[in-house]
Amino acid sequence: MSDRPYILWLDDPAASKNPILGGKFSSLAESTAAGLAVPPGFGITTHAYRDFMEAAGLVEEAARVRKACADLDPEHIAKETVALIHGILNAPLPEALETAVRTAYDALETRTAANVPVAVRSSGESEDLAGASFAGQYETYLWITGADALLQHMRKCWAGMYGDAVLSYKHDGESVISKGDFGICVGIQQMVQARAAGVMFTLDPITGDRSKIAIESCWGLGEGVVKGDITPSQFTVDKVTLKLLKSKISHQTEEYRFDTESGGVDLFPVNDGRQDSPCLSQADAVALAILAKRIEKDRGAPQDIEWAIGANGDIAVLQVRPETVWSSKEAKPVLKVTSPINHVLMRMSGGGAKG
Amino acid sequence: MAKTDNSFANPFDIAAPEGAEGWESLYRYYALLSEDRRAFEESKFWFFDGMHNPDPLYPFDTIMTENWWVAVSQMSSRVWALPPAMGIDHRIINGYLYVSPNAVTDPEQIAERQEYFAKRAGHYFENWDEIFVNWKTKAQDCIDRLRAIEFKPLPKYEPESSITGHTGTYSSLEMLKDYSRMIENMLEMGSYHFEMLNLGYGAYLTFREFCQSVFPGIADQSITDMVSGIDILLFRPDDELRKLSQKAVDLGVADLIMPNRSPDDILADMATTNAGKEWLAALEDAKDPWFWYSTGSGYCHADPVWMTDLRLPFTAMRGYITAIRNGEDVRRPLDKILEKREQVTAEYRELLPTDDDREAFDSLIGLARKVFPFVEDHNFYVEHLHHSIFWSKVRELGDVFVAHKFFDTNEDIFYLHRHEIYDALYDMIIGWAVGTQPRGETYWRPIIAERRRIRDALCKWTPPPALGTPPDTITEPLTIMLWGITQETIEEWLGVDPESATELRGVAASAGKVTGKARVISEPDQLYDVVDGEILVCRVTAPSWAPVFPRIQAAVSDVGGMMAHTAIISREYGLPAVVGTGFATARIKTGDMIEVDGNIGIVRILEEEAAE
Repeated sequence: MSDRPYILWLDDPAASKNPILGGKFSSLAESTAAGLAVPPGFGITTHAYRDFMEAAGLVEEAARVRKACADLDPEHIAKETVALIHGILNAPLPEALETAVRTAYDALETRTAANVPVAVRSSGESEDLAGASFAGQYETYLWITGADALLQHMRKCWAGMYGDAVLSYKHDGESVISKGDFGICVGIQQMVQARAAGVMFTLDPITGDRSKIAIESCWGLGEGVVKGDITPSQFTVDKVTLKLLKSKISHQTEEYRFDTESGGVDLFPVNDGRQDSPCLSQADAVALAILAKRIEKDRGAPQDIEWAIGANGDIAVLQVRPETVWSSKEAKPVLKVTSPINHVLMRMSGGGAKG
Repeated sequence: MAKTDNSFANPFDIAAPEGAEGWESLYRYYALLSEDRRAFEESKFWFFDGMHNPDPLYPFDTIMTENWWVAVSQMSSRVWALPPAMGIDHRIINGYLYVSPNAVTDPEQIAERQEYFAKRAGHYFENWDEIFVNWKTKAQDCIDRLRAIEFKPLPKYEPESSITGHTGTYSSLEMLKDYSRMIENMLEMGSYHFEMLNLGYGAYLTFREFCQSVFPGIADQSITDMVSGIDILLFRPDDELRKLSQKAVDLGVADLIMPNRSPDDILADMATTNAGKEWLAALEDAKDPWFWYSTGSGYCHADPVWMTDLRLPFTAMRGYITAIRNGEDVRRPLDKILEKREQVTAEYRELLPTDDDREAFDSLIGLARKVFPFVEDHNFYVEHLHHSIFWSKVRELGDVFVAHKFFDTNEDIFYLHRHEIYDALYDMIIGWAVGTQPRGETYWRPIIAERRRIRDALCKWTPPPALGTPPDTITEPLTIMLWGITQETIEEWLGVDPESATELRGVAASAGKVTGKARVISEPDQLYDVVDGEILVCRVTAPSWAPVFPRIQAAVSDVGGMMAHTAIISREYGLPAVVGTGFATARIKTGDMIEVDGNIGIVRILEEEAAE
């Protein structure tokens, strides 16, 4: 393999934590290496992106755009980026790159099925910036089939780096993108029709309580939960005992599914009396929690995990990333107790909860 | 039921159920509402203590409620001087026990009590282990003295020994003394019962409160698992059944136990073979003390006790024998339980936010584990062993009344208050001494018949969960913990129409959601009617109902909080449970299709069984 590969498979021994896969995908590679059920796929690396930009002569224009847009309001950004985006979407691809992507898709077909549907996602280097989650800022394209469509959506992901939302993304009041020339990897991964899917945190996102695993889930693909246009059902599992503590089932009228006619992912009515029934069984919730507990242990810190459950009940891990909100807060003690007897006496006397 | 938005029915407006008019005559004057204290009694919040007394009280059984009326109350009011609480008041209304905590609100008084409390309760906590060792000696001695009491019919002639020993007192005085000894023995154990209990709960609940503040929503079972001992007496009866089941399989006599038939038939068949005799010997060894185990709370004489009713232990053994034959090891894996407890504790500890919290956790769990053996073990000594023997002694005295032609059966004694029995005994002695027919031979029979009729009528009445004026806030810890009564419960009770509600709310006590047919149980005897897969609906359960839990798919109770038996046992069996619904047994009928959602604490009536 070249020392600047264009393609790196998730299950390649060199993939785990490799920065050329960007944040999201190198993390998935790490999960794959840890033995988690990650659907197979490969990353079109940051080298591919850089070599394309170089070959297309867009490097300087990209630098100009980043600088110019750092402090612009989002509504003025589009005017500055129009030429750059046009270039990214239309400039010829270096032959070696195109061949590498087509060969990789062929190989994925061989491993799975002909015309295998894939998810095409951006996985940026900038995601590694401490504390910046870039939640929802990057592009994701679902249920893409065939190498041609794949190549087209790869370009869209690259162009997405210069979308107004990304360019104006601020963390701690500072533009993130203007800080450097961040590369981007495009992750390609087999898609499975999900019976139910969603996200889970290895802590309670509301209280920061680390003894809980909080699961949000909906019928169908998980896009609705991630986007927020479907109110998910909520399940809370105790991380220590792995018992389901609480479930709140929401009324779900629509679900995301792949539409064989339009060839895309769309909203469909939820039927078969499933609208008010739990999209996860107690056993599903516990199985997810066991998985989450294991991932957190492997990673050594609270995590935010996207997952899906296939028709056969198998759980797939779609994404793993560090939890950013509570992990960056300084922990404050809930209670100081000098003498347990005095504390008990005080509580029995009706005294204050702290002490 | 007359009810406004912000108050429960006035206790004085509660009418006697049809056929139960004059029910007051079953009880003593001090346990009844009275016009003289009307304003005071109307202003109080009274809630139904269905947890300990789900059924109308038998006159004699009020010894239990009258005991804790004093014994629980004096600990808070006079012994510890708990700053915010005096005692818990009682009234009997339509035969059912209503209670009302008495709070201290005057800041000066609270401050004064604070000083006593810190010193006195501090002394007990600091010397806990030693005091508990002494407690066990006292309890055992009290039980031994109870066992030694015997009641026999009065002799035709005094024994020779009274003459040669120049005793100067005779069977008549002995009878009175034995009766008084038995009553005082009961009140003595009743006092030990609460000697350390409130402090034990206090330490445990403080740890629990800490766990809930750092791990909101943590299951109670997880907290109990962290502090609970593995070697507690309460597990022993069940352990004995596991051993006996294994022995029956090993000896090849398990087939005699398996068919569901009367215990007497099983025992008779056992006695016909050597292997069977060996098994019977093992059974006899296990019985005392472990079969002095009540299937109820121990507070009611009618709760079957294993010692005298072997149906429940045989039912449980059938389950264990089946498990053994399926290749399972039914012994409790003590090492594994202990290892699991340490692992669970270490994991929660690790998940605490800071080292300060870990320090607080360590010290509070340390104290909770220190007090918990008492909290767990007192239950076997007091409610099971002592009280079960006590009820058997009272029946022995009942037999004496039968022999003296006062009663038809020894059960009749429970229709007399304990103070009335002293009268009846004296009456009996007079007849014996004088040699004429005592008045009691004709006096009591019609009274007992009338009281039985009244009590049966009271059984058909459903006590509302609360009466009187709701308090602004509820702070008394036992009220919240044991009875599960909080501000929310009160509001829920105020909003439900018990005649027509199709949805009942309670405490979500054990997770899961199922639909099934209801089986409403109002007396322990009906437990044998439970059909596999039904949902148990009851006023309250007792720990010894455990053998039916493998057969049901959910449990619902009228009363109880997170510490209530129904809640704990359901979590143990992984069954959904909703407790403290207030009206489940009133609203739900056996055969109704109901849905139990233990995740959010709701019971829905989906389909009602057609009226007969």
